[in-house]
Amino acid sequence: MMGFVLFLGFCFILGGLAVASNPSPYYGVVGLVLASVAGCGWLVSLGVSFVGLVLVMVYLGGMLVVFVYSVSLAADPYPEAWADWGVVGYGVGLGLVVMVGAVVGGGFEILVTGGVVNNEGLSSVRSDFVGVAMFYSWGAGLFLIGGWGLLLTLFVVLELVRGLSRGAIRAV
Amino acid sequence: MSYLHFSFYAAFTLSSLGLAFHRTHLISALLCLESMMLSMYVALTMWPIQMQTPSASILPIIMLTFSACEAGTGLALLVASTRTHGSDHLHNFNLLQC
Repeated sequence: MMGFVLFLGFCFILGGLAVASNPSPYYGVVGLVLASVAGCGWLVSLGVSFVGLVLVMVYLGGMLVVFVYSVSLAADPYPEAWADWGVVGYGVGLGLVVMVGAVVGGGFEILVTGGVVNNEGLSSVRSDFVGVAMFYSWGAGLFLIGGWGLLLTLFVVLELVRGLSRGAIRAV
Repeated sequence: MSYLHFSFYAAFTLSSLGLAFHRTHLISALLCLESMMLSMYVALTMWPIQMQTPSASILPIIMLTFSACEAGTGLALLVASTRTHGSDHLHNFNLLQC
């Protein structure tokens, strides 16, 4: 079980590396999907399943879907996948940066001991359900501010894509 | 540093380095920004787990809300700049170059 959690943490870093090494955006989104699925599995294994599911729903099911169809604006005649030399160079260089950071920051002896506090088990009150439920009672002001910010963003987006000729939304 | 902390710290550093270096496409930079938001979400979720304070679970939800706002605005900027410049190649965005 501990090995599976370590593997999920490794997949999280691998997804970040897959986005940061400079592939074509079609392949960069795959790295982000891998990182968000690994992050959700990691949060569920730590016991906070609610925020993990919120991550999958909002981030993977909302934001990344919009990114995937916006990637159609970045059409390359020859898309660079991860086997091309430029991407391999970036990937190896960034992986080297991660390794140097791991060695300088204390090394991998921490890998054996772990050191994770988890709150899984059978209890009727889960900490993340209770915490996010406070968002609706004591945090109602922040909830309204967040909703107001989202409404404002809608108008910002509509204003940005209106185009120079005021009126109809042009086909891209 | 424990393994968990190293994991999201490394993912955040990789994404910010990916944002800083030269890219071909604007949307690659936006994807790196989204990856930074993802690692910050996981990092903020570690706080209520390790400090055993459930009320801090609000923080990642708020951060995700405003990250969705920022992603939408970034994509609107992408669409607007593709309309005026024809593509989203970053070397074409040189109107302000001296």
